[in-house]
Amino acid sequence: MTKGLSNVAAVVGVGQTDWRRDYRDQRGGAPGRLDSPGLAALAFTRALADAGISRDEVDGLIVGPTTPYERMGELLGIDARWGGQADAMLAVIQACMAIKSGLAEVVALVYGNNQRSGKTNYGGSNAAGGASFLSYVYHAPWGFTSQGALYALMFRRYMEETGLTEAQLGEVAVAQRLAASLNPDAIMQTPITVEDYLASEYVCEPLHKLDYCLINDGGVALIIMEAERARKTGRNAVQIHGVGRYDLNTGATSMEPRLTDYYLPAQKKVAAQVFDMAGVGPKDIASAQIYDSFSCHIPLALEGYGYCGAGEAGRFMAEGNIKLGGRLPVNTSGGHLSESYMQGWGHQIEAVRQVRGTGGARQVPDCRFVHYSSDVAGKAVSIIYGK
Amino acid sequence: MGKTQPVMALDDRPMWDSIAEGALKLQKCSGCGAFRYPPGPICAECLSMESEWVAVDGGGNVLSWVVFHRKYFDDFPPPYNAVAVRLDEGPIVMTNLIGDPPEGSWIGHRVQLNYVDHDGRRQHAARIVDAG
Ligand SMILES: [Zn+2]
Repeated sequence: MTKGLSNVAAVVGVGQTDWRRDYRDQRGGAPGRLDSPGLAALAFTRALADAGISRDEVDGLIVGPTTPYERMGELLGIDARWGGQADAMLAVIQACMAIKSGLAEVVALVYGNNQRSGKTNYGGSNAAGGASFLSYVYHAPWGFTSQGALYALMFRRYMEETGLTEAQLGEVAVAQRLAASLNPDAIMQTPITVEDYLASEYVCEPLHKLDYCLINDGGVALIIMEAERARKTGRNAVQIHGVGRYDLNTGATSMEPRLTDYYLPAQKKVAAQVFDMAGVGPKDIASAQIYDSFSCHIPLALEGYGYCGAGEAGRFMAEGNIKLGGRLPVNTSGGHLSESYMQGWGHQIEAVRQVRGTGGARQVPDCRFVHYSSDVAGKAVSIIYGK
Repeated sequence: MGKTQPVMALDDRPMWDSIAEGALKLQKCSGCGAFRYPPGPICAECLSMESEWVAVDGGGNVLSWVVFHRKYFDDFPPPYNAVAVRLDEGPIVMTNLIGDPPEGSWIGHRVQLNYVDHDGRRQHAARIVDAG
């Protein structure tokens, strides 16, 4: 049974850099150990070893947005039958598309970002991303800057409309820190309470510092292989069961879709596509990995994908459903808030680990399907990983 | 750090000229009458590339608001606010709320755009004008 990109490809190898050690060393004043291509290269060697294949089997290469494609391929010695540059979620989808169409069989996806040692600014007069997203810079004359502020503005209205409280939003930071406390690779491991959250400083009110992602150096890589060939390797392959995408572009800079419907129509369209392609529904999902540059992505995804009813995300979270041991553990590695800010790349390899059953102390029991979701500025994407 | 500055692409100048004169003009489609904000070369509704500049009344309602507690710009010492206002003519603009903020939620309050001097540049700001 194949439908669209369902079961066309599987993840056979994952790798990451030592971001916890690097973060600690840089806090102590050490310079970055590797630049962005170097971090991507280190993750790639580990993903290759995890897959148990040689570099020469790789015939496709997709690099993340923070490293140049040609230079990355040159460094890794990969001449590709098919290649490109994409963010984490679209890289996975493009790998599946390339494999489905016969343009490649073994695609390496590599990402490296030295955003901490390289001092990337996500707000202010030189805000990153402004060339791609006009809303990141257009409202600066009124001091309105940073992606955090865009989400704070959006979520303030959602809170007023649904009655979701700051304490309920704090459940996200608390649940993800709990997960991170069980992840030896997470950067932030000290558990916190909702009281700690409420007492923490605001950055852009109503969002607290604990609602914001970390800024750290790191790299992630995945090896994605044609499904039949992956089966023959006999290794612990994780299938990609479905993908979906919907982009809200109209009115983006004046923030029409952000402030009127909170991008939920995009998530609902993606839900219909991805669940249909995978042949599963929200009740079959054991864990969700949700792109969390800010905590408020989580309640919006819970509502958008039908894990809870309209306006019920606050209550759903307060009842413990998103914690390890709850109905739908979310961001089981700690996510961007507590593990590492790898712009969605870390979420892919955590999904793979949970399906493999190698999550250690944070393993979700009976984890057959994991749903990855992101909604960055109304560009909603989903991927369902499974056995 | 640096100071704020407006995006000044090919279509942006007329709006800032109108703000300097104290009466916000927005770009209006000559084909279907839809406003374009930010300004641009084509109407997303009807794909007409013709437009004119029309003064808006400056009245609207607060859609949402935030308060910045971090310093991002030399000309905006924290704390400071930013509000999204739905103008009566339809477009959503970001601006700053001046004067006394309302008790509790700011959302839905009636505002009127004023024009203020900000660090050598004239720009709009919103003032609450709720009846009663
Ligand atoms: Zn038109």
